Amino acid sequence: MRIERIHNGIVLDHIKAGVGIEILKLFPTEILRTKIDYASYVESPSMTTKDIIKIENIDVNPETLMKLALLSPSITISIIRNGQVQEKITPEIPPVVEGVITCTNPKCVTLRENYLISRFRVAWSEAGKIRKQCAYCEHITK
Amino acid sequence: MGSFAGRHIIDTADLSTSEIMELVELANRIQAMPREDANQLATGKILATLFWEPSTRTRLSFESAMFRLGGNVLGFSEAANSSVSKGETLADTIQTVALYSDIIAMRHPFEGSALAASTFSRVPIINGGDGAHLHPTQTLGDTYTLLCEKGRLEGLQVGFLGDLLFGRTVHTFVRLLARFGVKMHFFAPEGLNIPQYVRDSLIDLGADFVEREWTTSCIDGLDVLYVTRLQKERFFSEEEYLRKKNSYIINREALANAKDDLLILHPLPRNEEISTDVDKLPNAGYFRQAEFGLKMRMAIIAATLGVEV
Ligand SMILES: [Zn+2]
Repeated sequence: MRIERIHNGIVLDHIKAGVGIEILKLFPTEILRTKIDYASYVESPSMTTKDIIKIENIDVNPETLMKLALLSPSITISIIRNGQVQEKITPEIPPVVEGVITCTNPKCVTLRENYLISRFRVAWSEAGKIRKQCAYCEHITK
Repeated sequence: MGSFAGRHIIDTADLSTSEIMELVELANRIQAMPREDANQLATGKILATLFWEPSTRTRLSFESAMFRLGGNVLGFSEAANSSVSKGETLADTIQTVALYSDIIAMRHPFEGSALAASTFSRVPIINGGDGAHLHPTQTLGDTYTLLCEKGRLEGLQVGFLGDLLFGRTVHTFVRLLARFGVKMHFFAPEGLNIPQYVRDSLIDLGADFVEREWTTSCIDGLDVLYVTRLQKERFFSEEEYLRKKNSYIINREALANAKDDLLILHPLPRNEEISTDVDKLPNAGYFRQAEFGLKMRMAIIAATLGVEV
């Protein structure tokens, strides 16, 4: 599949293969009315396979950047203006993330008391993966 | 005890090692007091015991501790399938009960519930157990027991036997002992070993621990054996339970190779894992442990109420 150049918008590259579909869900549904290129399991020299997404005429806010990084820590985001790469961002994950991740422990109080805002301590594990630990129940969510 | 006044006790990890020793000192002072004097410490104060999950043992220990400090107690304890506070959120229950009391001890089946409650409470919340997660007052009582019985923590060889996956008492206790240089040996039936998050934090703490299959020869060299309940429903099958059960029973025979001063502890209530023929041995520390636990709960209540002792 050929990925076309875009004039204005964003290019999300180095997405963990297969995660692209989850990434698309982070954007407002209006993107369905713009041009999207989505390539899955593209062969890449550094990562074996990856997903790539290009979306025309859209900006990303800092919260979305953080969510992107949580879903795929390897992601890079290029902001394209007038056909040129204006900025290339490797988003950072803050040590504490509130309200973004849902705890997967069925006995976690945040699931029973749904007015509580989830709170996770985020750290890189030795294997280069992110470790997301619920601040309430300490369960590690994959 | 100024530093404890108004504080929540959710996890022993929130306490520094010197604060833990301060609570131990306070428990010692309360232990040494004439009963009539201890009985004046919390006069006019109210402890609320909120038990969304039944735990007669823990609730009675908290209530006895408050009565022995001269205070009063109110609260509820739900049967397993009823719901006294049906429909009410934890936040609402806590905010209301905080108006009726000076301190709240709670047990709740959901993990992280005590921490959540503390964010809505203007009075100290004492975590009396949140799901299979933490049980800090039990841990502080158990620590006090080790210090009273063994005179030290550092260098002790402590074995943990039984269900270590669902045993919240163990999850809190081992992480505290790791900070005091205790060497730990975990003996659990397959599939019931300590959860990964506990193992991870032991590694982070640089703890000295091993996980091994239990045989009675493992008892050699242990200073303390901490036994927990084995529940049939935690096993994969009835056959496995029946097959394993007997090898996890501590009776006089199993103690053949034990050190003379091996201390046997159990958070109680027990099933069959410690045979009653052990009860009369000086090694059986589990009833003394319940008494040390009571003294520690008195210390925790006094400290968080800001009472001068
Ligand atoms: Zn959780």
